[in-house]
Formats: sequence, C-alpha cells, structure tokens
Amino acid sequence: MPLFQLPVWRRDGEIRYDTLCALDLESHTVINQKEESFREKIDLKTMIDELDCVEIPCVFICPISLEPMLDPVTLCTGQTYDRANIMKWFSMGHLTCPTTMQELWDDSITPNKTLHHLIYSWYSQRYLYQKKRSEDVQGRVKELLETLKKAKGQTRVQALKELHQVVSAHESAKKTVVDENGVSLISSLLGPFTSHAVGSEAIAILVNITLDSEVKSSLTQPAKVSLIVDMLNEGTLETKINCTRLIEILINEKDFGSEIGSSLSLLSGLLRLVKDRRFPNGIAAGLGLLRILCSYKQVQTLVVGIGAVSQLVELLPNANSDCLEMALSILELLSSVPEGRMALKDCPVSIPNLVKLLMKVSEICTQYALSILWAICKLAPEECAALAVEAGLAAKLLLVIQSGCNPALKQRSAELLKLCSLNYTATIFISKCKLTRTIQ
Amino acid sequence: MLSILIENMGLLCSRQRPLTEADAKEKSQAAEIERRIAQESKIEKHIHKLLLLGAGESGKSTIFKQIKLLFQTGFDEAELMSYISVIHANVYQTIKLLYDGSKEFAQNEEGSSKYVISPDNQDIGEKFSQIGDRFDYPRLSKELAQEIETLWKDDAIQETYARANELQVPECTHYFMENLHRLSDTNYIPTKEDVLYSRVRTTGVVEIQFSPVGDSRKSGEVYRLFDVGGQKNERRKWIHLFEGVTAVIFCAAISEYDQTLFEDENKNRMMETRELFDWVLKQPCFEKTSFLLFLNKFDIFEKKVTKVPLNVCEWFKDYQPIATGKQEIEHAYEFVKKKFEELYFQSTTPDRVDRVFKIYRTTALDQKLVKKTFKLVDETLRRRNLIEAGLL
Repeated sequence: MPLFQLPVWRRDGEIRYDTLCALDLESHTVINQKEESFREKIDLKTMIDELDCVEIPCVFICPISLEPMLDPVTLCTGQTYDRANIMKWFSMGHLTCPTTMQELWDDSITPNKTLHHLIYSWYSQRYLYQKKRSEDVQGRVKELLETLKKAKGQTRVQALKELHQVVSAHESAKKTVVDENGVSLISSLLGPFTSHAVGSEAIAILVNITLDSEVKSSLTQPAKVSLIVDMLNEGTLETKINCTRLIEILINEKDFGSEIGSSLSLLSGLLRLVKDRRFPNGIAAGLGLLRILCSYKQVQTLVVGIGAVSQLVELLPNANSDCLEMALSILELLSSVPEGRMALKDCPVSIPNLVKLLMKVSEICTQYALSILWAICKLAPEECAALAVEAGLAAKLLLVIQSGCNPALKQRSAELLKLCSLNYTATIFISKCKLTRTIQ
Repeated sequence: MLSILIENMGLLCSRQRPLTEADAKEKSQAAEIERRIAQESKIEKHIHKLLLLGAGESGKSTIFKQIKLLFQTGFDEAELMSYISVIHANVYQTIKLLYDGSKEFAQNEEGSSKYVISPDNQDIGEKFSQIGDRFDYPRLSKELAQEIETLWKDDAIQETYARANELQVPECTHYFMENLHRLSDTNYIPTKEDVLYSRVRTTGVVEIQFSPVGDSRKSGEVYRLFDVGGQKNERRKWIHLFEGVTAVIFCAAISEYDQTLFEDENKNRMMETRELFDWVLKQPCFEKTSFLLFLNKFDIFEKKVTKVPLNVCEWFKDYQPIATGKQEIEHAYEFVKKKFEELYFQSTTPDRVDRVFKIYRTTALDQKLVKKTFKLVDETLRRRNLIEAGLL
C-alpha cells in the first residue's frame, strides 16, 4: 500500500515536520509512525528520477520549470507552481504571477497538499508496478538459468530463446543474469558439439551483456572460436551481426586479433556479409570487423587472396557514407601490400569508381581515395594514369588543390597531377582538366 | 498387285489409324511408366546424397558401418557371423606382416639383435608367414591363437611393432592381438566393436539409405550414403557418381602423417591425402556441393603427436611446438586444421566460395562421437536446404 508522509498539525497551531505519520492512500486513514513501521519510505524525487514516464498529466507540471512538481504551492491568483521555482521568481524581484501576469495582491503561498498527494500517489502506483514487474523478470531469469543447467535438446533451445527475449526487453534482467553466474553458464554451453540453434541464441544473449575478463578469455578458446566463425558463415543476418559484434568485443584479448584474423573461414564469411547487397546492416557490420582485422599486416595478404579487393571496389558506388568510409579505409590498408596493389590495378572499375568519389563525400574519403589512386598509379604509371585521366581524374585533382582541405592532401594531389600529366602534351592535358559536370 | 499396292498406299505415313486394343494397352503402359518416373524423380529430389571420399584407410568404411549401426537396424547375427572370416584374415595378415617385418629389420640392422626372433618362436613365425600368403585362411582355432599370441609377445615382434608406421600394419592390430582368445572361441560371434575394427579393402561402391532420428524425426529427411574404394587404382570407379551429390564427406586420417601408402611405399600418406583433397575440390561437378571434412583417427593422433613430431611430414614442416601435454595436442590439432583450411581456400575459386565447408574432429570407432558429429552434419545440411529454398 502506498504510504505518504504527513506533517502533523498540532493543537497549538504549530506545524511540525518532524513527527510524521503515514497516510494510507487506499483506506485514507492516518497511521501513526510509532504504531506502524514503514515498509519503505519512497522519496518522490527518487521515483521521478527512476521512472521514465512519458505521459505525465499536465496539471502535475510546474509552468516555470516544465518538470513535475515536488512541492506544489498555490498563489493568490489560484495558479500552482513548484515552491523552489516560485521562490526563485520572487527573489528576482517579481511580484507577479508568472502565468497570468497579474500583480499579486497577497504574497502568501499556500501549499497545495491535494495536488502533492495526487502526484505522489500517481508516481507510487507506477513505481510499485515497475518494481513488481522487475521482480517478476528477475524471477523468470533465475528460473530460466536453472532450466538451462539441466535441459537438453529442444528445451534448451526454447529456454535460451526466452532468455534472449527477456534480456532484450528489460535492463534489470541483464544484471540478474550476471549476478546469478549466468554468463559463465551460457558460455559453457558453447563447444565443438553445440548445435547451431543453441549457439546462435547463446551468442545473441552474450552480446548484450558486459562480459568480464574471465569469460572473455574462455571465449577465445579454439573450439568456441571455431563455433562462432561457423555460425557467422551459416547463420541468419541477425546471427551473423551478433557474431561480428562478439568478435569485436573479444578482439582486444591477448593475441586474439592476429590469430582470428588469420582464419580464412572468418575472412571469407565477412566478405560474404559485405557482398550481400540486400542487407545494409550486414554490410556495415562486416566492413567494421574487416577494417579492424586489416590493421594486422599478415591479415592484409590473406584478405587480398580471397578476392576482397574487387568486391570492395564494386560496392563503392552504392554504399552509404559510413560504409564508404570503412570500405575505402580497408582498401587503403590493402594497397600497402604488393598483392593488394596488383589486385586494385587488375580490377577494371577501381579507377573510375575511386575518381568519382574524390571531393564527393567527405575529406577523409577523398584522402583515402587519393591515397589508393596514388598507389595504383605508382605501380603502373603509363597504363593507369591514362585510364585515370580518361575517367576525369585531372579535373578532380584541380578541385582538391583549390579546396580548403589539409595541405598534405593538396600536396599529394599536386604530385599525382604531375604524374598523370607526364604522358600528355600541355594542350591535350589542359583539355582533360575541364570539368564536364558540376559537382553537387 | 496394283490393288494391294493402292490399298496399302499411305498407310505407313498416316497417323489416323484406328486404335487397336494392343495400341491402347501400350499407350496406357507408357503413361504409367512416365508417371512412375515423375514420382520417383520427385522422391529422389528429397533424398540427400552423401559421398564418402578419402584416401585408403582413412576411415570411410568405418563411418559407413557406424551409420548403419546408428540409424539402421544395425547388424543382425547373420551379418555379424559373416565378418568372422574377415577378422580372422586380419589376424593372419597382421602377424605375417610383423614377422616378415622383423626379419627385414634384422637383416638391415646388422649387429643389432633386437629384431631377431627367439629360436623357439621362429618355426611359428615361418608357419604363419606361409599361411598369410595363401588365399584361404584356416579358421582360427584355439591352438593357432595360442601360437600367434606367443609370437606376438616375442620381444622382437614388439620392437617391430614399435616401427609399425614403416610397415603396412593396419590399426586394428593391437585390438585383435589383445583379444585372440575371444576371437578363436568355437562359438565366437563378433561384437559391434570387432566389426568396426575389422579391415577389408572396399572395392566397388556400397550404399545405404537412412533417416536420422531424434529431433529431426518429423522432417523426414532421407540420406543415401555411398562408400567407395580409397586406393589409387580404384578412383576411376567413382567418377560416374559425382553428379548431383548434396555433400561430400571427405575423411582424412590425421594420424598417418608418418606413414606411407599401401600402393606406393615411397609416398607419404598425408601428402597423398592432400593431393586427393585438392583434386576433389577442383572437380567441376562439385561446384555447389557442400564439403564436410572429417579429420579422423584423432585418438591415434593424440597419442602419436607428442612422440613423433609433425614436421616429419613435408606439409607440416613449419610446425613449432609451443607447449606439452594436452595443450600441445590441441595446438597440433589446430595447426593441422588450419593447413586443411588453407588448402581449401587455395583450391577454391571465388565463384565457389559460397559452398558450405566445415571441419569436424572425429574418431570413427567411437559411436557416441559419430552420432554427435552426424547430428551437426544433419543440422548443417538441413539449414543449407532451407537457405537454398529461400526460407531462411
């Protein structure tokens, strides 16, 4: 039952705030504090902070602060404000009612107990409901974890599915899972003979919970890693994205990054994610992890080996700006190895696609694109420079030089421009420099 | 004559002949055959064909037998009895190999007497060497079994057995030698384990059809598993099977990195497996086939890898041990697995990269393990099916 603290009005007219008694809101009786022990003193401010209410009745809101009132007081005009706010208003020297703009004929402020009572009970109700729901959730989580310790087969899959739902819907559930040692339990379900159904649900849960270092290091065992990589290759889009996220979480464990980066199954799985145009989320997830892995030198050669270069180049025209930046960043890393440069040169659309991106999206994209073009042209100057110029590189480079981007970039552009101009006579080259279309 | 000619003119080319009863019957029969063909093709589409491939003695037939035991009615008494001759033959072949081997080693290592058989046992040895040469072996009697056991316990034979990787001694040796008394009993009926250990070279093609039970009972998936011969000289027999298989189960015995081929004693078995795997991956008919690699004989690998370093095999020459004991075994296994993975990606062109490729660690003699492994295989293939049908 919601309890409410009432200041006591004693016979002698004094209002004492220290002797409090409880008002039972349901039965509207006053219970003396000494007779009944409070179950809990719920502070209004705490409740307001903890509850994230969207539809607060407008009469509860103070017109000055637009926040729910903690201590509503009414002026002689009949308007109610939060005490702290109206006192501040008065202290600034105003003697008017803020909403009606009338001059106050009476400077008394009357505590609006009725309104306070209403606000308190409204919040209490919701607060207790939420507490109960959260306890239910906690209870359910505990039950599910108990089931998981013993269940096999379909029961296990069902329990995991439900746990996943509960954890996604309630923040408190996550805490319960951690407290009840659920994380290591779930992690122990992953092994060389784990079925895909169990594994995908387990990973979906683990990804949403903060993992401690013990769990993280156990997840980097080879058998579990193989399972995660397999699921990344075979799962639904959601499973694939969860696997990439989990690997990203684990990537900082000792040596894990370079070890898992050398897994060709993982790299080809990520590439498959990136290739699938139907799912932009998948592409973004795949590119994200691929970029992290490509920061390791030995991984770069492997990635080129599985044909990533042409795939990445082909997705450039249609990618959104985040994916574009990631893809270009990866290509730039790949262009630092000889095999990568060869692959870039061999791909017929790399030069046109890259030229189109100059000065189109952002400075960083232009920087990456320029760097890659530089690498290609350096490899085979005559052939590639010609192609680049035909694709309109010269005009773009001039734009870069004239733009407000950083000096290093301008320098690079100038050098590249010089490289391209080597095979042309002055007049022909100048004609190539003319922009044929305005740049949006 | 002219009238006959006129009467018959046009009868050859004309279609409008009145249907005789025989014609009608033929037509209905043809229709029936067509319908049956259509029906069976429809059924065939739902049967997933699995092809067991691998080098000789990689464990294909053992997996085959395990599937039979797990998902069919197993072996009945008559079938079990039919294996007696095979098991006895294995015993004779093995003891002959060991005896001949000991003589060879004794000859090559002048001065060392460790391979010299003790004089009492030499007659026994000669006797079995001759028996082993024959085509038909005598039934293993108690007396013969006793003699074999005496010979087996001879120090020279044990020394020879320690170098078994240089000879073509099959892996069932130890198991059968330990069980000689049971095998020679007059009322001997082979156990399932005996059958699994027995070794006979598969010639031709064997197939079984089965449905995996358990959670997937309702789905009614049907598999047809084909087992083929593994030795080099039998590979041409496989070719006509390659069309339309759902998955290839490739068995590679990872314990044989220090052994040579039966057909060619100069060739290392692991290198042979590597070449075969490479060849199979590149076959055009396997463009869309799922590949399930069974790294088999892990139990023997476990025991061997701490004693015989992996680098004796050329493919694994860059192996560096980092630890000891169980950790080292795991490390060695991961190394071998990675080598096979690299090989797969090297032999796979970009257009084929979408096919399913999974690696499983197996010990074909362990029934529980094979059952668990097959459950995973079943799940993978069913998911693949759903993905291809666009339902996932």
